[in-house]
Amino acid sequence: MSNSRSEPDIDSTIAGDVSIVDSHRGARKEPLLEQLRGPGSPRKLALLPTETVIGRGTQATIQIESALLSRRHVALRRNGPDVTLVDLDSQNGVYVNGVRVHSAVLHEGDTVQVGDVVLLFREAAG
Amino acid sequence: MSSPAIVRFWGTRGSIPTPGHKTRRYGGNTSCVEIEVGDRSFICDGGTGLRELGLDLLQRGRSKLEAHLFFSHMHWDHIQGFPFFVPAYAPNNDLYVYETAPGEDRVQRLLHGQMRSEYFPVSFADLGARVEGRSFIDGVLDLDGVTVRCLEQNHPGRSFAYSFEIGATKIVYATDSELDFLLENPEEVERDPEVLRRLPSSVVGFVEGADLLIADGQYTDAEYPKKRGWGHARSNTVADLALQAGVKQCAVFHHDPMHSDDLVDDKIARAKERLERAGSGCLVFGAREGLALKLG
Repeated sequence: MSNSRSEPDIDSTIAGDVSIVDSHRGARKEPLLEQLRGPGSPRKLALLPTETVIGRGTQATIQIESALLSRRHVALRRNGPDVTLVDLDSQNGVYVNGVRVHSAVLHEGDTVQVGDVVLLFREAAG
Repeated sequence: MSSPAIVRFWGTRGSIPTPGHKTRRYGGNTSCVEIEVGDRSFICDGGTGLRELGLDLLQRGRSKLEAHLFFSHMHWDHIQGFPFFVPAYAPNNDLYVYETAPGEDRVQRLLHGQMRSEYFPVSFADLGARVEGRSFIDGVLDLDGVTVRCLEQNHPGRSFAYSFEIGATKIVYATDSELDFLLENPEEVERDPEVLRRLPSSVVGFVEGADLLIADGQYTDAEYPKKRGWGHARSNTVADLALQAGVKQCAVFHHDPMHSDDLVDDKIARAKERLERAGSGCLVFGAREGLALKLG
């Protein structure tokens, strides 16, 4: 008799329910950004423990070659489990879910747009 | 040239604090919005969000705080944070609290009252900051380049909206207002909820041309009939106000304590669709804790 309690194949047993599959796969210990559009996409971008700066300049932690980005465009600052995004007086602004913001505490699934770069914020799970 | 205004949302929930995993994105703290202009803070309401604002102000490195407090009204969810506003305990700070007309003492009386020993262990008299009462005169104030106006709204026990003009920038804070009581075409709206909900010129004029309208849109259309007379508006009616007043951005505020983040998303999506159908360029979004906008 086979062991019916063996580890299920998540993909085949609950295929189609993306949110459940993602919840298993997405037990992330660290928050991250998924770059969906813009130069270099698609890719996943890790955040540093304190501050990550995105921009086109060499001083940025994550350098993205786009003329629509300022040299230091936006900072993502971590404070415990919270990640706060701050516009660094950029020329073209920072948009969270379509709203131009000065700063915002980010949550799972927020869309961040800077110039032609679109990022999806994924918070640490658990 | 005036300084830009930074609008920060510290509490966006209506009625009662609602911490928990279902309200994480929009937040569970009750009404508190800060408009920072230069080194001055104009604070709208002292709900539980005021506590977080106080802690943040301490970290901004100002040697002395100048804060101007405007209360829409004195219901619990708009004053409960005041006794926990740490800057009020520091001797160096100046707080100004505003009555909407000369001779009124409602705001100061009730701020004192909620710090009586029956309610709270520290009395108002023990606050270290200088707290000065001031009044609007004929509904307007000029505070060194910031013009503030007030307008009475429809809410049990009275409430007031405030507009702030900083140079060419106009911000309106209008919470706890049952706009649906003021409709000029209520029968028509009853028959067809899709028809434009016409609001009186006094309200539209007060909001006219705002760069940002922060407005109570607690209920969905479906919920409202059972909540009539409780003093809050339907989010779709707020969208129609924004449309009629030519507002650029509209933050739907005072979320219902029964609404999860997903329900608020749904409420906002409907208001957005309504404005899009009307061809409006107004950007509507749900006010949420931790969000700050820079205007001007």
